[in-house]
Amino acid sequence: MWTTNPGSGVALPPHWGWYVILYFFLGGLAGGLMVIAGGLELVGDERDTDAIRIAHRLTFPLIIACAFLLIIDLGTPIRFWHMVFKSERFPELVIKPWSPISLGSWILTLYGGVAFVNYFFADRVRGRRAWMILEGLAGFGLAGYTGVLVAGTSNAVWHNARLMGALFLLSGVSTAYALLMLLLPATSSTQRKLNDGDFWAVVLEALVLLIMLIGLGSLGRVFWSGWFGVVFWLGVVGLGLLAPLARHFTALNPRRAAMCVLAGGLLLRFVIVMSPQFPRVALWHL
Amino acid sequence: MAKGFYTDTTVCIGCKACQVACHQWNELPAADGGRTELSGDSYDNTQTLSAVNWRHVKFIEQITEDRASDGFLQGSRWLMMSDVCKHCVRAGCLEVCPTGAIIRTEFDTVFIQQDVCNGCRACISACPFGVVDIGHDGKAHKCTLCYDRLQQGREPACAQACPTESIRFGEVTDLMQLAEQRVAQLKAENVDAYVYGKEEILGGLNSFYLLVDKPEVYGLPSKPELPSHNVDTAFELSGVAAAAVAVTGLVAFRKGRMDEMARAEGND
Repeated sequence: MWTTNPGSGVALPPHWGWYVILYFFLGGLAGGLMVIAGGLELVGDERDTDAIRIAHRLTFPLIIACAFLLIIDLGTPIRFWHMVFKSERFPELVIKPWSPISLGSWILTLYGGVAFVNYFFADRVRGRRAWMILEGLAGFGLAGYTGVLVAGTSNAVWHNARLMGALFLLSGVSTAYALLMLLLPATSSTQRKLNDGDFWAVVLEALVLLIMLIGLGSLGRVFWSGWFGVVFWLGVVGLGLLAPLARHFTALNPRRAAMCVLAGGLLLRFVIVMSPQFPRVALWHL
Repeated sequence: MAKGFYTDTTVCIGCKACQVACHQWNELPAADGGRTELSGDSYDNTQTLSAVNWRHVKFIEQITEDRASDGFLQGSRWLMMSDVCKHCVRAGCLEVCPTGAIIRTEFDTVFIQQDVCNGCRACISACPFGVVDIGHDGKAHKCTLCYDRLQQGREPACAQACPTESIRFGEVTDLMQLAEQRVAQLKAENVDAYVYGKEEILGGLNSFYLLVDKPEVYGLPSKPELPSHNVDTAFELSGVAAAAVAVTGLVAFRKGRMDEMARAEGND
């Protein structure tokens, strides 16, 4: 039998473009930096102070950049405050913990507060156990919720990717390790700790990505076939995962490996966000 | 009492009066300034529901090898269906909306408050039916089930304009009874009809359909899920990943510290 196309009846693309891709990348980076700084405070020594200071100097500007990207991505940016306040009954708050985007607004707010204190008043909170727990919650929350936001849609591929939160979280932590390695002097004793931490973060990320793709079955083709497949295999897998792992077994410079992790992290967000929306959303869509 | 639509696709003639009436009443502009290209898909150039098309008539031509028609809706046939927002009892768009712009009205319909929406677009990817869309004004739009007309005791523009009563408006429970009667009548005529939108689909659709083929044939999902269906699991798995990367990180930091101390002792 010959039949016509009844037209789309499935979820429409949310028109996420580069603002969202960059936000997912920088948010993961910011979340990872806060977590690593907290970990170094917990079990590191005085020689790690430089790494902690760099992380704290970065998190606040990064969260400002994230907030800026999110606001300009809104259809009506001037109403950004509607995310947390009931516009018709100000100053009542809007809290919908079952909605990843609403929960994410509160995670961003919490993270912003923690990053602000770490930036301006680090000496007053350093070493306090409760503060470290808060840092961990805010950092992991920010790095991970963006992936859950993707899974909390009705798009068939995203919806079935239950490991997306875990993947984004691990990628966020591994890119944060990589950034710190690039910013610290090569002679710093913290380099080795970061290098080891990053190795395991990348191993976990590769494992989660593999399990997620197996779980998605044929739905996952959108990520790993066609032109997006080229970016996925060369950029995400080759550059972002295999090259950094190979540095432990070959003579690859750790700083070059760190650059590969950062590039892979950005390309991962690009493939995940763009491939299910293309061609309805153009590759250069902001 | 819940108000809604019952759309009997077997009496739809594809006249698009509903689309026109919707455009007229709601003052919806033409898509792309009226420069829409021909789709090549039957009489359907609208293609999809959107910010400016809150009704969309679908045309499904099912033509057999011999092109012969063998009685009412048997053999070669044209299926036509006027699609619209389903005003779900458990609505994904309403669930995810972070601003509270999407509300349930006193008529049990789902409505987007334009003065609250900030265009975050979460509702667009949340709707499993592809109903909600972002407009050029930077806000989300979809069928309001003519909320303004309902408040004045009038029926929605599309239902009033429908010449064949394919689209019926009323109390959902009354409409469901009508639909069941129609299903029984069609089954007696050997037409495999059923109601799409009972409780098993997102708690029920206040705008439901009588169909004679699988939902996918009409571009409808057979088992739609709420967008939040996997959210708890996704958060739990993120928690596991966080614990794993925290442990490996702390071990790496601790090991690094121990190695440094051992090296320092060795030097001493």
